[in-house]
Amino acid sequence: MNDGSVLRLDNVSVALRRGRGQVVPLLDQICLAVNRGEMTALVGESGSGKTLTSLAVIRLLPRNARLSGQIWLGNIDLLRLPQRDMRKIRGRDIGMVFQNPLASLNPSVRVGAQIREAYRLHTGESDHAACARARELFGEVGIANAKERLGDYPHQFSGGMRQRAMIAMALACSPKLLIADEPTSGLDAILTRQILSLLTRLRREYRMGVLFITHDLSVVQKYADQVHVLYAGRSVEWGSSDAFFNAPRHPYSRALLGAVPRPGQIRLTAISGVLPDPEAMPIGCRFSPRCAYHQAECDCRYPKIDHKGTTSVACCRAADIVSAHRPAGMPSPQYFRSTNDGAVLLKIDRLGVDYRHPAGGVLAALAGRSKSLRILDGIDLTLRHGECLGIVGESGSGKSTLGRAILQMVPYHGSVAFEGMAFDRMTRSRRKMMRRRIQVVFQDPRESLNPRMRIGDIVAEPLALAGERECREQVRRLLDRVGLHARMLDEFPHAISGGQAQRIAIARALAAKPAVIVLDEPTSSLDVSTQAALLNLLKDLAQQDGLSYILISHDVAAISYMADTIAVLRSGRLIEVGATAGLLAAPGAEYTRHLLAASFLYEI
Amino acid sequence: MSGMTTHPLRPLGGRLRRAIFSGVTEYLGERGTLMAGAALAVLVASFCLLGPIFCRASPYTIHVGDAFYPPSPQFLLGTDQIGRDELARLIAGGYTTLAVSIPAAILAFIVGIVFGFSGALGPIWLDKVLMRVLDAVLALPALILLIFFASLFAPSNSQLILLLGLTSWPGLARLVRNEAIAQRGRDFVHASRQCGAGTFYIAWRHLLPVIAPVLVVNGTFLVGDQILALSALSFLGLGIQPPDPSWGGLLQSGLNLVVVDPWWMIVPSGAMIFLSIAATNLIGQGILARMGETC
Repeated sequence: MNDGSVLRLDNVSVALRRGRGQVVPLLDQICLAVNRGEMTALVGESGSGKTLTSLAVIRLLPRNARLSGQIWLGNIDLLRLPQRDMRKIRGRDIGMVFQNPLASLNPSVRVGAQIREAYRLHTGESDHAACARARELFGEVGIANAKERLGDYPHQFSGGMRQRAMIAMALACSPKLLIADEPTSGLDAILTRQILSLLTRLRREYRMGVLFITHDLSVVQKYADQVHVLYAGRSVEWGSSDAFFNAPRHPYSRALLGAVPRPGQIRLTAISGVLPDPEAMPIGCRFSPRCAYHQAECDCRYPKIDHKGTTSVACCRAADIVSAHRPAGMPSPQYFRSTNDGAVLLKIDRLGVDYRHPAGGVLAALAGRSKSLRILDGIDLTLRHGECLGIVGESGSGKSTLGRAILQMVPYHGSVAFEGMAFDRMTRSRRKMMRRRIQVVFQDPRESLNPRMRIGDIVAEPLALAGERECREQVRRLLDRVGLHARMLDEFPHAISGGQAQRIAIARALAAKPAVIVLDEPTSSLDVSTQAALLNLLKDLAQQDGLSYILISHDVAAISYMADTIAVLRSGRLIEVGATAGLLAAPGAEYTRHLLAASFLYEI
Repeated sequence: MSGMTTHPLRPLGGRLRRAIFSGVTEYLGERGTLMAGAALAVLVASFCLLGPIFCRASPYTIHVGDAFYPPSPQFLLGTDQIGRDELARLIAGGYTTLAVSIPAAILAFIVGIVFGFSGALGPIWLDKVLMRVLDAVLALPALILLIFFASLFAPSNSQLILLLGLTSWPGLARLVRNEAIAQRGRDFVHASRQCGAGTFYIAWRHLLPVIAPVLVVNGTFLVGDQILALSALSFLGLGIQPPDPSWGGLLQSGLNLVVVDPWWMIVPSGAMIFLSIAATNLIGQGILARMGETC
């Protein structure tokens, strides 16, 4: 046995028993190791089995799951342990941090008490010792003012703070292994960097292994020692992080890396097709239906694992592929369009938005005594025809509010002028007409489609509102333009995937024949490969129709791929506006530098 | 679905009712509950509507010599104190009870929806005014309100429909308003407004279909509530006026003669009230359980 490893999975498989004797394989012969003091990143898209792997390790799988193989924690095989002993191991030897800290912390118990509980359950120490430990832990995870903050409830913590508190709780008993399941996916770039630096420091100090589950490759390169890529429940490539990012050998790994947006990239590599259905897995290589290097032999049997190269890989054609092209590097700067041409489409002048507290009731409102909070202040921006304006900022910077003000969805002061005419000076009917020319695509594709309407009716809605009767043919054409099949017309939104739902939202926006589309974090709930396909689609549509975009995102990489001009927003104020190339090369403001440094972790 | 935090279908009123009928759901399964409710409803409705075809006796004819007879082949459910056929009266009473309580439920349903939507989608001042009106109505128990109005005048059946309908909407109105407020801020509503949709369009095309499950469930419960309220009023002598029979009235006239203990006058009418309310509650609970899965 490898003595350096804290955790080792040998041929771990998980299958789900369904009714009528059906068995659905979800994880297939996973072999994975986490070494002491190192971070192993488990990478894959949603549905690849990442979280299932972590649940298998702590043995918290659903009751109808069948688990086989061996899971070694040190020299204990966790699969042979009775649940009673397993309970002792969870929390003491294996710490866990989950994606959504608010859901993992009990909202009605003070944070300090929750950490003390985690400690006392396993050590049996006195409350006094637990208090001291909690304070110590808060210090270690970088929460200032530990003594007071321990008495707070989870809702009084910000997102990043909650995740730190979760980490503190996971560390309470100094575990040998920390499982972090997408701990940063709800956080913006700066917070992500802070949390990961913290994990890196702590794993060295505690000499613990970290199993870091993520779909975000850009984070992996900088922080992980080992990478393990999962696809449809099987390991496709694994090895040291350096070797992996230097020369990925599996076609899927290459496709994934090509799908991560980088500044100035001409085009992202989208992976066509979808994950195979677990109930009908291909017999051969599971990636073969989507693989660019696909050959007839790939469909016959699952490829043997090739340990000879820099990384281990499950692909028959790995040797041929490495010599092929490498993902594109930084292109020449002339790719960036100059933004001075084109007429001004949208002019935003000293825009500000106040949030009025509804507290105080009728009388206070009548007396005008309601409190107000300024969310946006003094925003000046210009959008030209065919331009993509990226608005970037951390969460809470007011970027979504800015989008909503431009869309005329929230009251604001200052002015938004569309084609030279300010909205507040338009007549009611003209305003309504002009509003149609600015369309929107929201972040959450599920929220943006009415669950009780058919796809066809959703896309036809803007047409119907404009008084067009026969729009079936137009709807077909719109679906075709966003790359969807007309078969989908009669489906309800719950029957389609997130990426498809987002395409429907784009089709609906296009139906109103807009000049501008405000894209409010359009891809942040999607997988990397889906995101790549969607961003490519948006680029194509812009070129075909001469559309302008306002792209709101906390993802600097996506913005820099799409935008011609970038505006940096912080606490409701504009920090910096500039052409993408210039801003990336020489950021003017300190904050922009900070943001860029946190964002571009992934460089090739 | 995982994202939903609270259950979108909160039925109105009785914790006890929910406890009893969710127990039934556990036992019968959601489909079974729905089917049981539907079967019971069909049974009760056909008894009231088709009964006259099989039981030709008139509910008003007085058989002077046969007063106070227990069930016999001639009078299947016996006769009352002045010799009227109890079975005929039970059927006719059922018909009047349904003929008043179902329109009353529909009236309350419509008023509740319109009121709720006006509050949720109208200007803020309107919402504030409407909600205070609602509070005022809710503050007085509906039954007391009913008794007050019914005691002012002896109401005709159409007046009863108005009376019942106009006192029982507040619960539904509040529910509709809260649901509409919860849904009106969703992104698909914003997207629709961006395309020029007006308030009425939003309410009709977007909000109504989305909250329809809540409406269906609570509309069903409303029918049961109206039957109960009407029976209570009639029992107190304030509802359907004699000589017209009603279930509440029959129950009362039986209980008045408790010295003789005419069980044939008490049990059938009580059972019909119970069965009809059980029917609506089973249907409501069954829909609730089924919708709970898809919402």
